[in-house]
Amino acid sequence: MIELESVEQTGFEFADLVREHQSMVFSLSYHFLHDRDQAEEVAQEVFLALHRHMADIKSAEHAVFWLRKVVVQRSIDETRRRKRRPQVALEQVAEPAAHAVQHDPMLGDILRRLIATLPETPRAVMIMRYQEDLEPMEIAELLDMPIGTVKSHLQRSLALLREKLQRRGVGDR
Amino acid sequence: MDLEKELSQALRRKEPSPDFAARVAARVAAQAAPVVMPVTKPRVFAVPRWLPVAAAVLVVIGGVGEAAWRRHQGMVAKEQVMLAMRITAGKLNHIQTHVREAR
Repeated sequence: MIELESVEQTGFEFADLVREHQSMVFSLSYHFLHDRDQAEEVAQEVFLALHRHMADIKSAEHAVFWLRKVVVQRSIDETRRRKRRPQVALEQVAEPAAHAVQHDPMLGDILRRLIATLPETPRAVMIMRYQEDLEPMEIAELLDMPIGTVKSHLQRSLALLREKLQRRGVGDR
Repeated sequence: MDLEKELSQALRRKEPSPDFAARVAARVAAQAAPVVMPVTKPRVFAVPRWLPVAAAVLVVIGGVGEAAWRRHQGMVAKEQVMLAMRITAGKLNHIQTHVREAR
C-alpha cells in the first residue's frame, strides 16, 4: 500500500492511480518502444513523475490525460536517448505466411512490429487511436497538434500498413 | 481484412509484470526518504581580497589624521599658554610701574 499522498491533498490516492492505470501506461510505452523491459522502466518513471506532480492533478480525468501525455513524451525521449532506431525496418518485417488468417496471433505481432517502425509522431498517433480508442480531436489535444495533422498521420499510416500487408498477401484474405 | 479492427486487437492493453506496482512503491519510498547531506566544512565567509588592503589604508589614514589632530591641539594649547604669559607679563609690568612711582 502506497500512502505517500493524502486523499485530502489530491482527492485520490497515488496507489489507486498506479493500480488503475499501470496497464494503460505500460502498454502505451510497450507499443511505442516494442521492448518490455524498457517499457516497464519508462512506465515506472512516469509514475514517479506523477507522484512528484500529484499536487497539480485536479481530477481523475486530468490524471489520465497527464499520464497519456507524459508516457508518450517519455517514450519519445527514450527512443532518442538510446538512439534506438526501430528494431526492424519496415522493409525487413518477416513475410507473413501467405495463408494468414484473421486474428492470427502472428498477424498481431506483425502489426505491432510495423507500428514500432513508424516515425515517432505517427506512431504515437496510431497507438493513441487503436490502443486507447481516442478520437482524432482527443489525440490532437493530447499531442498538441492540429486535428488535420492527426487525421493525415492516421490515413497515411493506415495506407502504409495496408500496402505492406497486401503486398504480402495478408490483406487479400 | 478489417485492418482497423486488427490494429485494435493487436494494440490492446497488456499488463506489466505482477510486481510493477510494488516496484513503483519502492522507488517512490526511496525517492521520499530523507536525503543525507554530505558532511562538508562550514563555509567560511568569503573575504574580498581588497578588504584587508582597504582596512590597512584606513588605519594608516586614521593614524596620520590622529597625529595631525594631536599636533594641532598642541599648537593651540601652546598659543594659549603664550597668550596667558603675555597677559601676565603685561600685568606684572603695569604693577611694577605703579610700585616704582609710589616710591
